[in-house]
Amino acid sequence: MASKRIQKELQDLQRDPPTSCSAGPVGEDLFHWQATIMGPSDSPYSGGVFFVMIHFPPDYPFKPPKVNFQTRVYHPNINSNGSICLDILKEQWSPALTISKVLLSICSLLTDPNPDDPLVPEIAHIYKNQRSRYEETARAWTQKYAMG
Amino acid sequence: MDDEEYLSSAEEEEDCEALDGIESEDQRCTSTSLSSTKVITRESLLAAQQEDLRKVMDLLTVREQHARTLLIYHRWDIDRLLAAFVEKGKERLFSEAGVTIVECRNSPSSWSSSPVMCQICMEEVQPNLVTTMDCGHCFCNDCWTEHFIIKINDGQSKRVRCMAHKCNAICDEDVVRKLVGRKHPDIADRFERFLLESYIEDNKKVKWCPSVPHCGNAIRVDGDAYCEVECTCGKQFCFNCSLEAHSPCSCRMWDLWVKKCEDESETVNWMSANTKPCPKCHKPVEKNGGCNLVSCLCGQPFCWLCGGATGREHTWSSIAGHSCGRYKEEDKAKRAETDLYRYMHYYNRFKGHMDSLKLETKLRASIQEKVSIVESMNFANKDYSWVINGLYRLFRSRRVLSYSYPFAFYMFGDDLFNDDMTEKTREMKKNLFEDQQQQLESHVEKLSGLLEEKFDEFTEEKIMELRMHVINFSVTVDRLCFKMYECIENDLLAPLQHAIHNIAPYKSKGIEKASELPIFQDTSASLKSTKTHRTDRSLLQASTTNEKRESDSSQPSSSGQFPASSPSPRKRARKDGRRDTLIDLNLPA
Repeated sequence: MASKRIQKELQDLQRDPPTSCSAGPVGEDLFHWQATIMGPSDSPYSGGVFFVMIHFPPDYPFKPPKVNFQTRVYHPNINSNGSICLDILKEQWSPALTISKVLLSICSLLTDPNPDDPLVPEIAHIYKNQRSRYEETARAWTQKYAMG
Repeated sequence: MDDEEYLSSAEEEEDCEALDGIESEDQRCTSTSLSSTKVITRESLLAAQQEDLRKVMDLLTVREQHARTLLIYHRWDIDRLLAAFVEKGKERLFSEAGVTIVECRNSPSSWSSSPVMCQICMEEVQPNLVTTMDCGHCFCNDCWTEHFIIKINDGQSKRVRCMAHKCNAICDEDVVRKLVGRKHPDIADRFERFLLESYIEDNKKVKWCPSVPHCGNAIRVDGDAYCEVECTCGKQFCFNCSLEAHSPCSCRMWDLWVKKCEDESETVNWMSANTKPCPKCHKPVEKNGGCNLVSCLCGQPFCWLCGGATGREHTWSSIAGHSCGRYKEEDKAKRAETDLYRYMHYYNRFKGHMDSLKLETKLRASIQEKVSIVESMNFANKDYSWVINGLYRLFRSRRVLSYSYPFAFYMFGDDLFNDDMTEKTREMKKNLFEDQQQQLESHVEKLSGLLEEKFDEFTEEKIMELRMHVINFSVTVDRLCFKMYECIENDLLAPLQHAIHNIAPYKSKGIEKASELPIFQDTSASLKSTKTHRTDRSLLQASTTNEKRESDSSQPSSSGQFPASSPSPRKRARKDGRRDTLIDLNLPA
């Protein structure tokens, strides 16, 4: 069941790739993917290329995939281990969601952080009170870790 | 509960109080059929749940599964559910709880015979192999089944949501049953059990009996959660915290006390107050007097103040080649020492009364023996219920006395209410309380002494005299217990600003025994049956007054007329029912 569905998702991604991201298996293992996300142009992450690791659980799609950033990101909802705080990856997961939808959600999370449910409270605080300082740091990190 | 009801139970209380002195244990048992505390066994669980489901089904005209979804969401609190219904309206109430009823929308599958694309497995599926939920979302049966099984295994049976993204609808339990049952009957059984037990797990009026090994029962209390109950298996417990019955301690106090007693930290405190580790062999060394140069058994001398190794040359105030100023350490040690002594003081008394209670339990056998001896004699009065009643009074008051020590430990200590009382008020309240406690203590001891008399060797006259004393002391002890609870509730706990501590009310008759939940056919029958119950009760009242109990007298006042946060009106009601009767009680029965 799981591998069939993953296969289908892969086919769909290849047939009709989303504009800002791409994804596919790392090696032979169909349950282990790597994805790239382009920093959205209307965000301080613009110009960066972010690598994301995806692990599918054996009972996918009934359980959510595990998704982690490999590239360092300065963001209130992404911590230094690359963990992402996103509701659809936890309690709001639905088997009707796909990796493509998850990646798009992550893109919009980059554009619109959710400082009220932060994974890194310090960054959330700066985001709320000193927006320009947040943008500056996020840009600097993107420059340092996500370009070239 | 209406006024009439309240009056009748107040009278009832009065009557039964007057007869307190000659109450017998059998009567105590009969009282329970009228109580508001019910035992829910494995057998009656379904009926209990059905009763609530039926009410909601009738009131909101919904199907059973939707009633269940609503009740689970509102934690089986019908009042809260109805309040939400009034406040938010049917539509919002339903959508929040996940009840979605799509009007007559036929699933596409029932119309076409062409295969349907399942958005989960992304396969084309024959239309007879898909299921559409109430919310209108349609997926293939295999995917539904897989989804259900994973949710059930994750312990989420009570709220299995639809698979569609952002759909809050709860899946039809019949569909879950049917689909899961086909492949995994054992998991379907578990689903069934989870739904059934939700009535206990999610219901604040119902709690599992904490007996070990577990008796399988749960207890439902329809009144105040701050009460003490006895399950039909014999286990007595505090309904609020499920620990042993501990009034007049509050749940928080009892929890702290149990931990404190279990905790070895008191010993550790003692060690830190009284010993220092030797700098050489690290064994704890106790200073038994003398100056601050201490020698360990291993021969190493060291400074008591800082614990550092020293030479041997010393005077009273100085040690050769050593100077230290660590007096703060000693302050801390002093503090630990006084704390420890304080704890020991209360603990010893708590334990002392518990031990006496254990010994007095043995007294029961010897008293029964003595009673059977005197009964065989040809005395005019053959009623010896007063001995047994005195004995039960002794047991109950002994418990109260014992638990009053941990109460006092926290009430007048630094742990809980430091911000709530000034040193002066605390001292004043402590004196007030201790007066009562001491009075109760001396009366309990006297009652205990009386009951140990060898009355089987007495003359009839002397027995009658003893009877008088026992009855009088029983009555006084009961009154003192009541007064102590009253003082605790009204004078000590009620004025607290920063903390809310509630205690179970004082029950003259001891801990209330839960009665079996009657299994009714349906609601109308259940209502009828309650009514007959009431009539029976008034008949009972008219004919045999001594069969009446106060067991549910607190029910009308505690059934939600007053908000739980203001406990004083409730207490007042109890007090008033009592006061008039006290005078009669002092007369020989």
